[in-house]
Amino acid sequence: MIPEYKQVQPPEGINTSKEHPLKEFGLLLAGVLLIVVVAIVSLSYAAHLLAPFIPFSAEQKMADMFSSQLKDEPIASQDAEVTRYLQSLADRLAKAEELPATMPITVHYIDAETVNAFATLGGHVFFFRGLLENIPNENVLAMVMAHEIAHVKYRHPIKSLGRAVITGTAIAVVSSAAGGNIIADVLGETGLLTALKFSREQEQKSDKTALQALAHVYGHVEGANTLFDVLEQAHQGARQAPEFFSSHPHTDNRIENIAAMAKMHNWPTRGDITPLPAQFSDWLAETDNQVSGF
Amino acid sequence: MYDLIIFFVLMSLGYGFGRIAEKRHYKSIIERETDLNRIPAIVLRFPPPSTKPQQTVLVMGSVVISIDYFKRVAAKLRGLVGGRMKSYETLLDRARREAVLRMKEQADGMGAKMVFNIKMETASISKGRKGNIGSIEVLAYGTAIIPATMPMSVTSQSLA
Repeated sequence: MIPEYKQVQPPEGINTSKEHPLKEFGLLLAGVLLIVVVAIVSLSYAAHLLAPFIPFSAEQKMADMFSSQLKDEPIASQDAEVTRYLQSLADRLAKAEELPATMPITVHYIDAETVNAFATLGGHVFFFRGLLENIPNENVLAMVMAHEIAHVKYRHPIKSLGRAVITGTAIAVVSSAAGGNIIADVLGETGLLTALKFSREQEQKSDKTALQALAHVYGHVEGANTLFDVLEQAHQGARQAPEFFSSHPHTDNRIENIAAMAKMHNWPTRGDITPLPAQFSDWLAETDNQVSGF
Repeated sequence: MYDLIIFFVLMSLGYGFGRIAEKRHYKSIIERETDLNRIPAIVLRFPPPSTKPQQTVLVMGSVVISIDYFKRVAAKLRGLVGGRMKSYETLLDRARREAVLRMKEQADGMGAKMVFNIKMETASISKGRKGNIGSIEVLAYGTAIIPATMPMSVTSQSLA
């Protein structure tokens, strides 16, 4: 009708990209995650190297901030008996592990079902009733105790805290730079995977030192292997998996490593068993004073 | 962990539905563009004197298109490293073409043979607020030229 003007259909795909959206997304995600993981790994390694330079007294102050409410809890007499016994065992083993006097071990007893024991900042070691109920003799208990004391000795709690703080900060910085909570979610999950409580190397080192302490105190390492049988049984019996396993090396590997270490150092794996105090099970009997909030 | 599962479900939902919607939209856009090529949309401000329009009317078409979850995450990642925002390109391309098509459809209903002096405006609906799904509006408008040969009655009817 009007010859001067004619609309010509432009070819498709001028203003858009032909690349498959998943390809672009995959490349971007892999690249960004790689950079973030490399950054976090190197930062946490740096934190790992620097953490031992934090004086132990500073670590104790940090721990006091968290445990101040714990001290206010009234302690039942049975609980006090258990704590006293555990503390004396801890002191003997700490001596065997040559812990300096500036690094005291404080043992806490928690009246809860969890089959677990853990060491944390400031030389505080926690034992749950659930674990103690499953322990047949003092040698097994000493293995757990020596293992946790070794964590304190090598400053593992402050190292893992340093790593967690660095990782958390790095994630916060990256996600705020990206300006989205989606990114924070994704990176947060990745961070969790890299922030296991103690590393396998740390657990192995603690096992070794614990064995050494056991050999020093009792003259043999009987009980070290029994510990794993005890934990395995508790694992099958209880509905709840023992947390002791979660961040620890595979049990079979640990048993093998312990056997190899004992053989290397000529520590006898069989010896006289030291029984637990006679009233031990009475102490553990459930009290009304349930500590809550852990 | 649950956050991650929810995230992946949202991602695949966004990707799946987003892809289907985009494919369908492009198919419809191309079909309608081929048909409406008989009404040229021209950016010149004044029609040539030879057209001698009987009537000129303002016509407009606007469209709001939202991004999907997948595109949003892809764009966020792109924002970290820079480069072509490929996930947004198709979105804007579709919005522009759809807006022009709607404008032409209005002009076609009025019996116009051309649209002159076309312009486009874009607006971001969410204005970058956090937590909002980003969506954009594109508005295309121009002057429809209704030729003198059209019977008067038809024109006034469609204008009413």
